[in-house]
Amino acid sequence: MREMIRHRAGRIYLFVLVLSIIGYIVFLAMGGTTAAENGEPILVFGWMTMSLFSGVLFVGFWLVTYIIYFFLFWPYR
Amino acid sequence: MGLTLLVLGAFGAIIILMAAYGYRISAKTAEDYMLGGRTIGVVVMFFFVLFAISSAWTFYGFPGLLYTQGPGYVMFIWGSVAGFAGLYMFLGPRLWALAKINRFLSPVEVLGERYQSKALRLILSLSILAFIVPYVGIQPLGVGAGFEALTGLPALWGAIYTVVILIVLVLLGGMRIVAWVNIFLGVVYMSALLGSLLWVISVLFPNGGLVEAADIVARTRPELLSDPGPAGTYTPIVLGGTFVVGILAFSWPHVAIGCMTARDKSLFKWFPLLIFVFGGLFFYILPFLWGSLVAPAAMPLGELEQLAAQNGVSLQTEADRVVQTVIKRTLPEWFGVFVLLGVIAAAVSTAAVQLMTSSVIVSRDVIQGLFKPNASDRQITGWARWSVVAIVLLSLIISFFNQGAMALYLTDVSVPGFAQWAPALVGGLLWKRGTKQGAIAGTVAGVVYLVLSLLIVIDGSRPLVIGHPVLPSLMVNTIVYIVVSKLTPRPGEEIEAQFFDEVEAYLKAETTSRGK
Repeated sequence: MREMIRHRAGRIYLFVLVLSIIGYIVFLAMGGTTAAENGEPILVFGWMTMSLFSGVLFVGFWLVTYIIYFFLFWPYR
Repeated sequence: MGLTLLVLGAFGAIIILMAAYGYRISAKTAEDYMLGGRTIGVVVMFFFVLFAISSAWTFYGFPGLLYTQGPGYVMFIWGSVAGFAGLYMFLGPRLWALAKINRFLSPVEVLGERYQSKALRLILSLSILAFIVPYVGIQPLGVGAGFEALTGLPALWGAIYTVVILIVLVLLGGMRIVAWVNIFLGVVYMSALLGSLLWVISVLFPNGGLVEAADIVARTRPELLSDPGPAGTYTPIVLGGTFVVGILAFSWPHVAIGCMTARDKSLFKWFPLLIFVFGGLFFYILPFLWGSLVAPAAMPLGELEQLAAQNGVSLQTEADRVVQTVIKRTLPEWFGVFVLLGVIAAAVSTAAVQLMTSSVIVSRDVIQGLFKPNASDRQITGWARWSVVAIVLLSLIISFFNQGAMALYLTDVSVPGFAQWAPALVGGLLWKRGTKQGAIAGTVAGVVYLVLSLLIVIDGSRPLVIGHPVLPSLMVNTIVYIVVSKLTPRPGEEIEAQFFDEVEAYLKAETTSRGK
C-alpha cells in the first residue's frame, strides 16, 4: 500500500475505494435496501433483492477499478 | 444406509491418500510443512483461500440467518470480499516479501520481530488461538448435525469422522497438501451447492425459476425481501456495522498466513481478480439465493416451526439446516449423500487451514519463540504435529459446551477476536512510527474491552457493545496503538531498514528482473 501512496494513480485508486465504502454505507443508511414507499420490496429482474443487487454493483465497481489500477498502474505489476 | 457409509468411507480414503502422498513428497522441513515451501501458485491459492473461508457456515449458518432475518446479513459477504481482496492488494506483497527475505514462518513471528518483542508475540499468539480454536470445533459439530439428519446415526459419529480426516490430513500433509486438498474439497462443495440449487429450482419452481420463488416469498413473507427483515433486525446502523465487520476479514489469521505461502509476487496481481469474479459475483451468491429465496419459498415458516418443535430445538437451529431439509424432501436420497460430502468438504477445508495456522503459531511462536529458540526443523514440525491433536480436542470440548447459532458465532465472537491484531498488523507493515509499546497496549486494551463487552450483560443487553462487538473494541485498540506509539520512542533505524527499505527494494528489484 505504501507504494500506492507514492504516485498519483495509486492515490486516486485508494481514494476511489474509500469513497465507494463510504458511499455504500451512506446508501445503506439512507434505506437503499429497504422496501419501496408503498411497502412493496424492490426486486430487480423480478428476483434480485436490493441487498443482492447493490452488493453486486459494489463488487463490480471494485473489480473494474482493480483491473484498471493493477494492470495499468501498479508499480510492482 | 450401506451406500451412504460406503461413499463416506471412500471420500475419507481419498483425502487420507492425498495426505499420505503429500507426506511422501514433502521436503520434511519446517518451511515445507508450515508454508508449503512457499510454492503456492495463484489457482491453488485461490481454492486454498476461498475454501478456507467457506466453511460449513456457508451451508448452514448463513442461509439459516437469511431465512429467519431477511437479506441484511449479506452485507457481511460484500464487506468480506473487499476485505479479502484488500489483504492481497494492500498488505499481501509486503507480508510475503518480509517472510521470504527473513525466512519467517508465521505472521505473528513477523510482528514479533518487527516490534522486537517476545511479549507481543505471546500476546498475539494467545489472543489469536483463543478466538480461532473454538471455531475449529464448530466445523465437525456442524457436520455431525448433517450426518445425523441424513443417516440417522448419532451426530457424534459424524463429528468423529470429520475429526479423523482432519487430523490425518494436517498431521501428514502440512500446508501444501491442505492447499491441494482444498481444490478437491472445493470442487465437491461447489458442485453440491450449485447442483442442489439448480435441481431444487427446476423441481419446485419449473415455470419461472427464481422469479417464481421470489413471487411466492413476496406473497407469503414479503418482509424477507427487504431490510430491516421480519424482526426489524437490520436497521441502517446494523447493516453498516455488518458491512464493516466483513471488511475486517483481511485480518483473519488463517487467511493472512496464505500470503506467506505464495510462490511469487505476481500472485498478488491476479488473486483479487478471482476473489471478485468467482467469489463475490458467483460463489457467495449461491448460499444467498438458497437462504433468501429458494428455502423460504420451498419451506413455509410454519412448517419449519413445527419441525423445530418436533425436534426440540430453537427455530434458528432448525433454520440453520433448512437447506439440507429442503434437499432431503425434494431430491433423491443419493444426492443427499453427495450434499453431505459437500458439507464435510466445506468443514474440512476450513478447519484444516485453521488447524494448520494454529499449530504453526503454537510451534513457531509459542514453543520455539519463547522457550526453545535453537530448535531444529524436525523439532518444530514435531511440535506442530502434536499440537494439531491437542487443538482439535480442545476445540471440540469448547464448541460442544458452547453450541449456538453458527452464523452469529462467526460474526459476533470470532471476527471481533481476529480483528484485535489488525492494528498491530497494519501498523507494523505500513507505519514506520508504530512501536512495540503501542502494539502491546493496543492489543491488550482491545482484547480486554472485547471480552468484557461480551461478558457483561445487564437486563439482557450488553452495555459495552456499541453497534457490534468489533466496533468499539477495535476503535479502542487502534486509538491506544496510535497514541502510545506516538508517545514512545520510534523504532530504531535497523528496524526501518529491515522492515521497510529492504522490502521495498526487494519488491522493486523483482519487478525489474521480471521485466527484463
